[in-house]
Amino acid sequence: MIELENVSKAYATRSGANQVLDAVSFSFPAHTNIGILGKNGAGKSTLLRIIAGTEQADSGQIRRAGVVSWPIGFSGGFSGSLTGEENCRFVARIYGADLDEVVGFTADFAELRDYFYMPVKTYSSGMRARLAFGLSMAIAFDAYLVDEVTAVGDAQFQAKCREAFEARSGRSSVIIVSHNLSTVRDYCQRCLVLKGGKLLSFDSVDEATRAYEAA
Amino acid sequence: MRGLLTQLQVVYALLLRETKTRFGASHLGYLWAMVPSAAWILMFAGMYRIFGRLAPPGTSTMGFLATGIVTFSAFRETATRCMSAIEANKGLLFYPQVRPLDLVVARAVLEIATHVILMVLFLGGAALIDGVPRINSMLETLVGLGLASGLGASLGLVCCGLSVYAQTVERVFGTVMRFIFWTSALFHPLESLPKAGRDVLLWNPVAHTVETVRSGWFPGYDARHVNVWYPLVWILGLTFFGLSLERMARRRLELS
Repeated sequence: MIELENVSKAYATRSGANQVLDAVSFSFPAHTNIGILGKNGAGKSTLLRIIAGTEQADSGQIRRAGVVSWPIGFSGGFSGSLTGEENCRFVARIYGADLDEVVGFTADFAELRDYFYMPVKTYSSGMRARLAFGLSMAIAFDAYLVDEVTAVGDAQFQAKCREAFEARSGRSSVIIVSHNLSTVRDYCQRCLVLKGGKLLSFDSVDEATRAYEAA
Repeated sequence: MRGLLTQLQVVYALLLRETKTRFGASHLGYLWAMVPSAAWILMFAGMYRIFGRLAPPGTSTMGFLATGIVTFSAFRETATRCMSAIEANKGLLFYPQVRPLDLVVARAVLEIATHVILMVLFLGGAALIDGVPRINSMLETLVGLGLASGLGASLGLVCCGLSVYAQTVERVFGTVMRFIFWTSALFHPLESLPKAGRDVLLWNPVAHTVETVRSGWFPGYDARHVNVWYPLVWILGLTFFGLSLERMARRRLELS
């Protein structure tokens, strides 16, 4: 379970402060997949980074019960001069996970074959994304924070990701931010809309998507 | 307590990663770490030979030069590596449990370990040439080397914080290092200098660490003006300043 209480965040811009999050309060229940819809620039990624703890909020409280993932997306976190395997070992170490298990699972899941043992700088962006995604699946998080899952791989890999999340549905939850309605429909039991610095909650996914489309 | 354990886990993981990125690029790996210091020592040993200069009484040429140059290298390399620690590993701040300070600490630990090994190798090498010395106090030698690295780490931390605000730090850094190189008693024991000169050099904390290393290694080495607490005070002061800078720079680091 993750709780946000009066979380605010602003960025300085040329025309003054841009209030990305304005006293946002929400309690994310455990074992429930939640989608957060928002237009480009609405602050979805910022919200996700703040939930993860990668970025600090200007004010407010964030309480996390259980292990929360880093913001899983197509970028970030790998060093180009190390191989996919070495990057996996590093991440497994900082999370105190079993090295062989993580490396084995990721190699299998990401389907990189020989590239898994080559420097990450030789990867295509799709390969990087598969590595990132496989690696996050290899570690047992209580909550997975996903940034735009649709960017990862082809339809087949997508299906695999969904299966992996379904297999974990009893133990962990997923929080997805996206501007894509179908992603949220596919994955989530509840849906929120981030708009004008506020997080709007709806009773059903349909209601949320209607509100999002109307905006 | 859990937080401390996580931090140790993170620093350990970073340490292994740094070792790989620093030494793993070439097949000769760790050997490369020896090259710069070895080149300096051989160059000055050659000059001593050509000009017929003798090492101070109670020391050997190779031993005297190695104690100076490796100690200075511990200071300079640690400072240089720590200074770029955050810039080089910014991507890792993406993982919530990796904090900027961890990156600096991991690099400092690797440099200290590397220079302890270098010191053992070079002094061992000097012993092969000059005969096995009677060591005065191994502990004192290690304390001196540790203080030199500590000075480097704390200075690196400060520069790391400053470089978030000003790009000129790196340029000034090189000049400062050259100045310290020539005022750290690398080629003249402090006691061999006239009082006026010695009094000036005694302000330089690195000179104290170099002379501490020598006083530990060579029995009867005269280091009566040297004080181990003086560099320690510098380390504490620089660390305090560096940590304050890190606190202020934290928000800026996240944005980039």
